[in-house]
Amino acid sequence: MSAFVANARWEILRLFRSQRIFLWLIPPVAGPIGSGIAFLYLRVPSNAVALILGLFVTGGLAGLVMLDLAALSLGEELSRRAHLVAWVLPQRRGPMLSGRLAVVFGGSLGAFAVGAALLWPVADALVPATAGPALIPLAPTHLFLGLLSLLFFLGSVTFTASTITRSASEALVVGVLGSVVTVAVAGFLLVQHDLTALFPVALSVVAAVLLGASVVRVSKMES
Amino acid sequence: MFSGPGTIGLPRNDRPRGNLLPEHRARVPGDPIITLDGVQKRYGTVEALASVSFGLHRNEAVGYLGPNGAGKTTTLRIISGLAHPDAGTVSVGGVDPAHDRRRALAHLGLLIETPGVLPYLTGEDMLGYMAEIKGVSRLDRGRAVERVARALGVAEDLSHPLGSLSTGRLRRLQVAGALIGDPEVLLLDEPTLGLDPVARRDLRLLLKDLHRNGVSLFFSTHLLEDVEAVCDRVLFLRNGRVVGDEPVDGRVGGEVGGRTIVLHVRTLSPVTLESVGTILGPDVAVEQREAREVTLRFTGDEAAQSALIQRLVTGGIPIVSAESARNRLEERYLERVGREES
Repeated sequence: MSAFVANARWEILRLFRSQRIFLWLIPPVAGPIGSGIAFLYLRVPSNAVALILGLFVTGGLAGLVMLDLAALSLGEELSRRAHLVAWVLPQRRGPMLSGRLAVVFGGSLGAFAVGAALLWPVADALVPATAGPALIPLAPTHLFLGLLSLLFFLGSVTFTASTITRSASEALVVGVLGSVVTVAVAGFLLVQHDLTALFPVALSVVAAVLLGASVVRVSKMES
Repeated sequence: MFSGPGTIGLPRNDRPRGNLLPEHRARVPGDPIITLDGVQKRYGTVEALASVSFGLHRNEAVGYLGPNGAGKTTTLRIISGLAHPDAGTVSVGGVDPAHDRRRALAHLGLLIETPGVLPYLTGEDMLGYMAEIKGVSRLDRGRAVERVARALGVAEDLSHPLGSLSTGRLRRLQVAGALIGDPEVLLLDEPTLGLDPVARRDLRLLLKDLHRNGVSLFFSTHLLEDVEAVCDRVLFLRNGRVVGDEPVDGRVGGEVGGRTIVLHVRTLSPVTLESVGTILGPDVAVEQREAREVTLRFTGDEAAQSALIQRLVTGGIPIVSAESARNRLEERYLERVGREES
């Protein structure tokens, strides 16, 4: 437990010193503001449509933050060979990595959740109450949960790629490609009316398995 | 551990550098702290270690010499648990690092494979993290970092980003990190590599001070002068095998009757060149003749050495330089490792 806590603190310190911690401000600030501007200019027909649009905007921004931080969490150290400082300290790598990933994933998902939560009052304030209902493909709350699982999945893919390529930049490319493919699959299922709760659940399970396998793999990895 | 509660076996802050350790501890080798027995390691088709066996005892400073690719870093990586041997046994403080890396590493301070740094972190960040992982309590952490940084002369660098430090300052800071937590053994992989001559000399002095203060040292290098300056014992590694294990000063076996010195004398003409041979006794070996200079090798006690020098001076042979055979590690290196390997 001590290695978990110490490394969670270490990750926060790293994010603070590198000023990447401010990336977490983007989803809660730029998400609702950007969405609000879009609501006004596009004259969205209903509150629900506004929320869908806002969730895509905020989720997209949060995705970029998640990809960046997940790629750098270990990839930066591996590519700079800075991991040799922590790996020769008397600590187990499992708790070490878990502590760091808890901060990266918790912070990025939390930033998205805050940004998404702020969309509801923004939509209420900017979309005229007289606007009529519109057909929407899925409920905003379902999309919110689906985006959470997508972010979790993309972060896991990116982190896993960083442990294989040992390079943050290459992992980022893998993460972006993963995003495109996953969103395309989700869009296809939506058009086919086959998008159910099974899809985000499957993404989450695969993400958890990928993360666990990566942590175990890194624990046994030779330098 | 070394000099009382609350210290790390390092000099006090107020002691001037260069005379850091007024009370040198006796450096009598103790129990083995690291042992390797028949360790083998392959990377694909490349045999990194054919069979390596040796021991490092407490209070020893051992140099690990070999050419590039001989297996030095692989050995250190195996000791530190960064790599696992294919065969053989490794013990660090009685623990196999492949099975319980955390307990094994608790005995060691490591600086392996010239680790990189995250340039935006400060020295204090890095040392503080290392202290926390090594179990230094939150209350003592700041003091421990400050003390070890002062001892290594990098206290003023603690607040600077690591990316702004010179290679030498950074290396000192990394050695400081290895020393946090009072490790019994300091394992260093080519610690002076890439340093300028002044920084190298400073680091060598520092390592000598640490060793005199009771820290066991094991470091790999291919810089012979580093080993000569710091170590008691040297292991020669060639093609993944230890091919020599001997004291650094070359006094092997029964050679206790004196020390070997090497004299370089200048001859003024062919006549005096020939006269050198008549002045010298049978114990003096003429190693190398050049146009105007001759290298002589002689083993004897101080009186015999003085007598030889007196004979040369009286015979009108100018002595250009005299050096201890301790400085002839290069020759033994070439003998053990081979000229073609180096």
